[in-house]
Amino acid sequence: MEKYDVAIIGGGSAGLAALMELSKLGLQAVVLEGAKPVGSKSVTGGILYSKNYRNAKVYNVEEVYKNFLDDAPVERRITGYYLNAVSENKVYTVDLTDAHNYQTNFAYSVLMVRMNKWFAAQAEEEAQKNGGGIVSGVHVSDIVWENSKTIVQTDELEPIQVNAVVAADGVNSEAALMTGARKKFDVEALYQGVKSVIRLPEDIIDERYGLKEGEGVAHLFAGDISRGHNGGGFIYTNKETLSVGLVYHLDSLIKSPIEPYTLLDSFLTIPQVSNYIKDEVPFVKEFDRDLPKEEQLRMKFGISKLLKSWEELRYTYYSKTARRKAIESRLYKSEEELRHRLDETRKELEEKFRVSFVTNYVELEYSAKLVPDGKRALMDKPYKNNVLFVGDAAGRGVFVGTRIEGINIGIDDAARAARAIARAKEHNDYSEEYMGRYYGELINESPYTDDIRKIDFEYLKIFVNACKEIPTESLNLFLRLGFMLLQKATVQDFARAITKMLDQRTLLALIETNEAYVKIPMEVAEKIGRTVNPDYKIKPPSIDERIAKIRINDDPEPHIKILDPNSRFIKSMVQLCPTKCYIMEILDKERFKSEVVLQHEGCIECGTCSKETDWKHPKGEKGVTYEYG
Amino acid sequence: MQSTINVAVMVKLEPDLSEGNVSYNPDGTLNRSQTRSILGPHSAIATRASFYSKVLYDANIKVCTMGPPMADIALRQALEICNADELHLYSDRAFAGADTLATAETIKAGIRKMGSIDLVIGGHRAVDGETGQTGPQVAWKLGFNFLGNVIDYSIDSANRIIHAERLIEIQGLYNILEEVECPLPALITIDPSYRERYNTVSQRLKYIKLQKEAMKKAENYKQYLKVWSAKELGVDTRSVGLPGSPTIVYKVEKVPRAKASRQTRIIDVSKDSELKELGMRLLEILNSK
Repeated sequence: MEKYDVAIIGGGSAGLAALMELSKLGLQAVVLEGAKPVGSKSVTGGILYSKNYRNAKVYNVEEVYKNFLDDAPVERRITGYYLNAVSENKVYTVDLTDAHNYQTNFAYSVLMVRMNKWFAAQAEEEAQKNGGGIVSGVHVSDIVWENSKTIVQTDELEPIQVNAVVAADGVNSEAALMTGARKKFDVEALYQGVKSVIRLPEDIIDERYGLKEGEGVAHLFAGDISRGHNGGGFIYTNKETLSVGLVYHLDSLIKSPIEPYTLLDSFLTIPQVSNYIKDEVPFVKEFDRDLPKEEQLRMKFGISKLLKSWEELRYTYYSKTARRKAIESRLYKSEEELRHRLDETRKELEEKFRVSFVTNYVELEYSAKLVPDGKRALMDKPYKNNVLFVGDAAGRGVFVGTRIEGINIGIDDAARAARAIARAKEHNDYSEEYMGRYYGELINESPYTDDIRKIDFEYLKIFVNACKEIPTESLNLFLRLGFMLLQKATVQDFARAITKMLDQRTLLALIETNEAYVKIPMEVAEKIGRTVNPDYKIKPPSIDERIAKIRINDDPEPHIKILDPNSRFIKSMVQLCPTKCYIMEILDKERFKSEVVLQHEGCIECGTCSKETDWKHPKGEKGVTYEYG
Repeated sequence: MQSTINVAVMVKLEPDLSEGNVSYNPDGTLNRSQTRSILGPHSAIATRASFYSKVLYDANIKVCTMGPPMADIALRQALEICNADELHLYSDRAFAGADTLATAETIKAGIRKMGSIDLVIGGHRAVDGETGQTGPQVAWKLGFNFLGNVIDYSIDSANRIIHAERLIEIQGLYNILEEVECPLPALITIDPSYRERYNTVSQRLKYIKLQKEAMKKAENYKQYLKVWSAKELGVDTRSVGLPGSPTIVYKVEKVPRAKASRQTRIIDVSKDSELKELGMRLLEILNSK
């Protein structure tokens, strides 16, 4: 049997960081990843932060990957951070940039699949030095302990013997279930996120959002966007795309189920969002069916060729870098020539092929994901035997009001796990008592653990200060009291003392309410918001069209089994599944008997149904792979 | 210590017959000047099979082809697939017009020039010839054992034995899996259904490492390329090219498309009368042939 120092299960950002750090420490580590290419099952909101804690060590991305700031395919540096309270067509915007900058070196918007590809290349190069690396398209089926040996079994390869395992297999961690380290997360501990990647040329993003080259912005939304559910929306600017989506408390959705894509569609169509995502989209009229078939074909080819040129020209023209390159390489003499070509192509499309240009938006990718709410999902003991859990698999994430962080925490966890394993190797003791406990200590030292567990008074103060224009009479008694205490300099010491006494769980009951997510933002928007009126209407694609675009490698063997087709939970999946995998089958009309059945597996592995299904990642490379993530 | 396995791969530059790339002359023959040429699909499979040896046995791989100077494109593509150590191009006007036998004579001479070769790997056939004869003929000329339709193989280098699985057809029965062993040196041709199996983590890691290395090597492929003339190979020019070819293509015909006027009828086998009618009809057809 082959032997390696460490097996890392999962090739997302946390697993790859673990590979990088372990390799730098001289260990022979191997990532076993289901997706092919590696990291292509990952999805993020999302922003990647680098944090700056004065009194505590944090392993940031630029420390793990030394050339990160020079070479990494990040999207935009987020320099503005706003919270939008929404009610119908009114919006009140709070500038939270100071809160976003708090203890932050930098923050970049990222598209996870592209980012992971880069992470993988760096980590693989480092790992090869010790004979390690990345094996993709492999599904880990079990971890067994035999005669003091740890054996990792996969569906595809011969088993391997390892000294330690890093479980970086995400929120629906199978490693957690195999080892019995934790049960599946309760619905109260999870958010469901649903996202659309929208295309928009670079210069148009700059102009619309008032950005300089390379700068980016994040907009959060609360209030009248959720049909009364607890959650919020977001728009993050990427280089030539936007990440637009929603994140909801899963328990709030279970209570009153609604299709995630319906929520996404209504979010995309409110004027406060559609104004930000609109674009010029060609609309091809149907061909005259009386025309001879050959003529129809000729037109079809003509249009698709011209449309392709128009798109290429448009994206070159509206991208600073592409425009510069095209002129430097003498493809075009000047900007004017490029513009002229663009106009001519458009004119030809309009005049020759009767293509019209309408206002809509271009959706490139639809995705969904469960997110562990660190406050409720955090594993107190993120290890079992010699298996160390990192990132989403360990239920770690900072979601405190408008502070949303996940990727950086997974990377920090991974670096700590690597150090714990390196020390274990030195002492040849990989036991739970030695290595596990030490990893637990390192994790407890992580400033993120404090951020997940406790309330940061300074952050709260900045947040409250940003909200000073908001009339406090909209707030409930406790929130009003809190705002007043935090705003008045004379009683701030007292407020700090109270905050120290409170932990997140106590505060949750006060702030994570329907009032905070929905009612207060609506009242604020109605009272002091400005009106936003659209003069056009965008049309989101249907869920079938969205699924058709996703790369799903069908698995002939169903990998979702419903445990109880009559439970309230699984009945809610008929509406809550982001890809409409379930339907309610009527068994007996007269007696009103029905049960839930799986109608297809357009499954995008978000894991929403995981709690009451026997749900496993499809074998090896089968399953969904994202292009953007 | 395990001795290195020396593998030679025979490939062919062929017209890219994928959709939209083919151009025909008015007489129905292929217009080669208008049709892009690439490494033939069966050659690519053979090359993949040689990479298996590289990953598992650290084989030293030499890829060869006979053709015009531009045929080095096929060698470059092969290098990308199998991380070859050497590329050999047999290019000389004397080789022009060769049939399979004359080609085999050139390839034989080339492989002999390579030094000690344990295993020669070739494609199932070429898509522009479809005869599937060159492989067996090279084996015969070299005096190597020949195994065709190989779908999997392993090498016992210490005992100099190749173990292979062949997918064959025997007396009308399809998809028979035959396991065979023979001493090296041998020449094998690879069945289109060949699927390599890398079953261990280290094989997968090595695969990725060598593949990356191959892509880098391919950027500068001419460094690994050696072009051989008839003189350098030391072949008798009467036995290669057109003079060495006992066969000649004298006519190419278009294969007529099947008529769309076929009539189908569903037979209900639960009815004796219909079964009987089917039997009578079959007899009638068989008797008429």
